[in-house]
Amino acid sequence: MSGVNAGLLRLTRSTLASAALVAIVAALAMAYTSGGGASRDSLIAEMLSNFILVLGMQVFIGNTGVLSFGHMAFAQIAAYATAVVGIPLAAKAKALPDIPFGLDSVHYGPLGATVFAIVVTIIIGGIFGIAVSRASGLAPTMITLAALFVVEQLVKNWKELTRGAGGLSGIPRLEGNGWLWVGAFIALVVAHLFQETRIGRFAIATREDELAAPALGIRLFSARWAAWVVSMGLIALGGSLRAQSLGSVNPKQFTLDSGILILVMLVVGGMRCVSGAVLGTVLITAGNELFRQLGDPQRLDIERFPDLFLGGTMLLVMLLRPGGLLGDRDLAGWLRRRTYRRPPPTGEEPRAGSNTLVAAEIEVHFGGFVALDGAGVTVRPGEVVGLIGPNGAGKTTLFNVITGIVLEQGGRVTLGDRELTDAKPVDIARAGLARTFQNLRLFKNLSVRENVALTELVAARHRSHRVRPDADTLLADAGLTEWADRQAGTLDYGNQRRLELARAAALAPDFLLLDEPTSGMSDQESQAMVESVRSVATRVGAGVLVIDHDLGFITRISDHIVVLNEGRILAEGTPAAVRANPLVAEAYLGSSA
Amino acid sequence: MTKLIQTIVDGLGVGSTYALLALGISLIFGVMHLVNFAHGELITVGAYASYFFFLHGGSWWWMPFVIIGSAVLASVATELVAFRWVRNASPFTLLLTSFALERLSHALWQIFVSPKQRAFPKPAWVFNQFKVAGVSFEVMDVVTIAVTAATLALTAVVFKRTLFGISVRGAAEDFDAARLMGVRANRVISGAFAFAGLLAGVAACLILMRSPAAEPSMGSDWLLKAVIAAVIGGLGSFTGAVVGGLVLGLLETITRAYLPELAVGWDKFSTAVVFVLIAVFFVIRPDGVFKVSHAERV
Repeated sequence: MSGVNAGLLRLTRSTLASAALVAIVAALAMAYTSGGGASRDSLIAEMLSNFILVLGMQVFIGNTGVLSFGHMAFAQIAAYATAVVGIPLAAKAKALPDIPFGLDSVHYGPLGATVFAIVVTIIIGGIFGIAVSRASGLAPTMITLAALFVVEQLVKNWKELTRGAGGLSGIPRLEGNGWLWVGAFIALVVAHLFQETRIGRFAIATREDELAAPALGIRLFSARWAAWVVSMGLIALGGSLRAQSLGSVNPKQFTLDSGILILVMLVVGGMRCVSGAVLGTVLITAGNELFRQLGDPQRLDIERFPDLFLGGTMLLVMLLRPGGLLGDRDLAGWLRRRTYRRPPPTGEEPRAGSNTLVAAEIEVHFGGFVALDGAGVTVRPGEVVGLIGPNGAGKTTLFNVITGIVLEQGGRVTLGDRELTDAKPVDIARAGLARTFQNLRLFKNLSVRENVALTELVAARHRSHRVRPDADTLLADAGLTEWADRQAGTLDYGNQRRLELARAAALAPDFLLLDEPTSGMSDQESQAMVESVRSVATRVGAGVLVIDHDLGFITRISDHIVVLNEGRILAEGTPAAVRANPLVAEAYLGSSA
Repeated sequence: MTKLIQTIVDGLGVGSTYALLALGISLIFGVMHLVNFAHGELITVGAYASYFFFLHGGSWWWMPFVIIGSAVLASVATELVAFRWVRNASPFTLLLTSFALERLSHALWQIFVSPKQRAFPKPAWVFNQFKVAGVSFEVMDVVTIAVTAATLALTAVVFKRTLFGISVRGAAEDFDAARLMGVRANRVISGAFAFAGLLAGVAACLILMRSPAAEPSMGSDWLLKAVIAAVIGGLGSFTGAVVGGLVLGLLETITRAYLPELAVGWDKFSTAVVFVLIAVFFVIRPDGVFKVSHAERV
């Protein structure tokens, strides 16, 4: 029941935000076109189809942070798909006498042609998107670039289907800009809604940190692919409507340069939010037109000024406001904060899990260097185990092996009766191990609460058998209540560490793995960290495995301590026993002899 | 057989130009994680510099110095006016900054010179032919391959033997650690840009000897291929950049030469085939041939 309500609330918010943005743009457009002239109407038409294309890019590039040069290829596919089913049969027989796939007898009206274009593009693009979403680093960008050139050459040379470089004309034209406005509104609602869905928020998490997101149970591939497919739908809508608004289509409309123009609109306004995409489209379309008129039409160099405008604007924005003009100041985000409702607390008492975490006989070599040479650790439910040792002892490597970031050459990792030895980070997280990072990997551009809430979304699906406290309770335990609406990246160092702790706990894990939670903290802060770790771990009933250099912190917090040295276990036992062990003093302070 | 040898020589010729450009891109990526889309503009700068040099009566003997000198200056200048100010920004921001420079470069040549092509004479000997064992070669083929080999050898010496080269490699591995060892960030980065400019300048010489003409957007096509070559090799890997460049050059010429024999009527799709192969490669090996593991700490 509450699920339906939440969905309705999201839809209302998205529609409201979209309607407000459309109203603003429409008011501007009316003021502009009231000055008269058909050329002004066609500029508005161009802006509206740009709008839809920019939003299509925003859904993928803005949310996943993966740069794509290939979106225009799919707009082109959609435009040509519209043309080959939209052009009346007689005209088509003349222009494309040898058209394949039995398209010679197919004719759809405007709505049918648009739907056909969207379906075709989503199918082709969706298959292609599997390759894009699987790759990491710069490879996806290169794959999209390759797609652009492939489609360009196919369109130019598959003359039976496309009539080649000359393009196709005679597509029944839409009357006025009404349908473009409708399309822009639909695109806005879709782009807004996507950012509020589960998968959309996961996509945003992968943008913020490609390594932390899987470590919290978010699958990179599905989040990216979902964003890609939705983005294909919008790009197809934009491409199809543009073709129908102009009445013709040709390869020159979908070059790399035209794609870059759309990309500039996206990044100048601020790619992370939908309002930014809107602002960017209006500014760049208008500016581009203005600078085009500056050129002397008698001379060949009519195109030179828009390039100057585009390059200059983009350079200034990148130097001064790399997040775009709006950054994260989204209209829908503002609405979201206004309508935030604290979920009702769950009444259950936390209980410790019943699984024991065992890593045994782990071996890792990096080239000739032996990082781990048979070390291991066992953590029982609800227990706090400290892991210490000098630099290079293999502590963080052991952590990375347990959480699946580094592959071990020997040994086993199990959680209860679940084998985790060769599992991927995302599956290990879902199985119940949540970690923090030595070098802080927060979702920096998101609010403090959103950092925690995102992980709770994963927990709701994959950790539903555990007690899951709401975000605000965890933030209170970590002492972050007053910062809940701040951007995570703006917190001071100590609070960022506490937020990582709360975020990991929100996964409702069996065990929290904390990598140097007090590094860079003062004595007082690290005292307070003991309390934060205890209350957060108790809240979710999790055991803790913690690495730290601060011996005082470790002895205060741990039930059991394991000392590593040169990849092996040097000693283990209660804090008192470990302190008294002469071997430990030697490893830490050098030879005592 | 003749055709095969001819094709391979052509491929190595184009490929070595890609390799020189890709090496510069890889070098810059190594020191600051920037994929420099403005790198191709250095060719354009070299081309206009030599055009003006000719207008004022310059000869081809001095041309390489003019082209390389202007490319080095332009490369260092882009770092000073733009990249220095976004040095610690995300790779995405860095890339878009270089994109902005690329656009601006197009605009400036269009406004201050002309959007039209400006041609000047080529050296007389470039397309002279000679025969070895019944196969005919152009002088330029030999020059291209020899100059590239010499430049690569020089690069290897610089990066293996000189303090500058070692600092750059150290910085590429782990900039923070390198800085702690006394490497000066500004100097290393400026030096890397200067060296990348030198490599682009050599590439520009080879390109301009074949087709001596300056055009505002002439750098873009070369740039895209060079970026692809660098990523194929593995960004940040010097060997990778060279291998990537040569492989891409060979792939292009071989596809163009032999695709029509394999599949009749497919000759018009040769570029498409090359790009499909590239896309497939990236799906299989997203990190390129020589994966560079950065000292990324977790």
